[in-house]
Amino acid sequence: MMLPGPRYAWLRQLAAVAVLLAVWEAAGRADMLNPMYVPNPSRIGAALVDLFADGRIWPHLDATFTAALGGLALGIAVGIILGVVAALVPAIAELIEPVMSVLNAIPRVILAPLFVIWLGIGLASKVALSFILVAVLIFFTVFNGIRQVDRRLVERVITLGGSRWSLVRHVYLPSVAAWVLGNLKIAVGFAFTGACVGEFVAATRGLGYLLSFAQSTYNAALMFALILLILVVVLLIFAIAGRLEKYLLRWN
Amino acid sequence: MRVSDLTISYGGEPVLEGASLTVGDGRFVSLVGPSGSGKSSLLRAVIGLQRPLSGTIETKLARSQIGILFQDDALLPWKTARDNVALGLSLNGMERGKALAEAEAWLERLDLAGFGDRFPRHLSGGQRKRVALAQVLAMKPELILMDEPFASLDAIVGARIVKDVVALVEGQGISVLLVTHDLEEAISLSDEVCLLSQGPRAHIIQHYAVPIPRPRDPIHSRTHPAFAPLYERLWADLSREVDHRAEAA
Ligand SMILES: Nc1ncnc2c1ncn2[C@@H]1O[C@H](COP(=O)(O)OP(=O)(O)O)[C@@H](O)[C@H]1O
Ligand SMILES: [Mg+2]
Repeated sequence: MMLPGPRYAWLRQLAAVAVLLAVWEAAGRADMLNPMYVPNPSRIGAALVDLFADGRIWPHLDATFTAALGGLALGIAVGIILGVVAALVPAIAELIEPVMSVLNAIPRVILAPLFVIWLGIGLASKVALSFILVAVLIFFTVFNGIRQVDRRLVERVITLGGSRWSLVRHVYLPSVAAWVLGNLKIAVGFAFTGACVGEFVAATRGLGYLLSFAQSTYNAALMFALILLILVVVLLIFAIAGRLEKYLLRWN
Repeated sequence: MRVSDLTISYGGEPVLEGASLTVGDGRFVSLVGPSGSGKSSLLRAVIGLQRPLSGTIETKLARSQIGILFQDDALLPWKTARDNVALGLSLNGMERGKALAEAEAWLERLDLAGFGDRFPRHLSGGQRKRVALAQVLAMKPELILMDEPFASLDAIVGARIVKDVVALVEGQGISVLLVTHDLEEAISLSDEVCLLSQGPRAHIIQHYAVPIPRPRDPIHSRTHPAFAPLYERLWADLSREVDHRAEAA
């Protein structure tokens, strides 16, 4: 009953997961796993259904999405602006680049407690963490990208009679857009990391907050359910980002 | 267009020294020389991308009347073939709809009907070259500078494009300054060949008139009785020049 060929890879993968879950469930029911640490898949599923059944998940999802997407949008905008300015004005690059390099070298989530002190335990500190994670990534993408713009394309537009503005419009902007889109998935991942870690550190809402709640109450089933939920959410946004990238970079 | 006593340096020893040549109206002039002799540099100086150390470039043509065909096609990868061809027109003030229609007509003229919506990435090397050519021709130039435009193409594709180019520039009376390292190509296409010595301090050894009548077929002109003697003369002069250099060194 094995279906061969690469077309059915997903089917085989699905079957493998199903077998794994069945074995896991059976082992759990046979008391071979401690439900304190590894709850049965059925328990995890029930916890997940619970979250949605009474509707209490929505404000948390809302909080995390707002923080992540807000940080993502701000981070991309500021990253692009700083990257462009630094690439065009060497005096500014001298100031910004070292700071960005330091921020790039450290694990930026260590700034989370600082943002809580500065901005409180509300939305702002989560947006800030998402933002800083994304902005540094996008800054370097744009900054290095502009300095590597293909000279031949610049000269082509100039020799066709293009002005400075047409260079920006026909060469620099599309190049910048291509690099940013090429890093969009990574940026989305960073944005959700920032939001969840921020909520984990100190919050009253959000998926990260629920995780820390699950941790403090030793609720392993809830924890697994939340991890699964975050996984699905991020994969979903990845898929959207991937579609967008594929469409806008269809020339590539 | 007249280049007089042109010297170009990138800081150190000049790559090109005291080069002079003239491209008259409707003339096809080739500049032949070994790699690194400064041929591309000369074209870049003519189009204003490179400031010469000394010498002058005189022309009665406006900037938009001079087209340049680079060694690589340099098409914008994020624009379709049609948009690439229309780009030069709209940069010079043509309304977009009109520019696109004009671009389409040029694509058709260059055997690219139906390829207008393709991105450069999805075209073959020969097709990209044709798009680049359409981009330049659409500007209705009086003079086209060509920097080894056919070097990257395989022989058969290249021969067909060269044939089309010759027909188009002959038909429209466009002047051409072609840079190449290929002696045969230079002789078969041009009215005049300028032979450039080995750089640095490359200079023009001599100008040769090519007595093959027009209109020309680039393949047939290689079998014209005047072709072989001229080819041998150019070779002899070039070899003598290289020997001179070797002795001097
Ligand atoms: N932008 C540049 N900066 C420094 N040196 C250059 C530059 N462009 C060309 N050269 C040098 O000038 C010489 C002539 O180059 P080029 O004009 O490209 O010759 P050709 O087109 O005949 O092969 C070469 O030695 C090359 O290394
Ligand atoms: Mg060259």
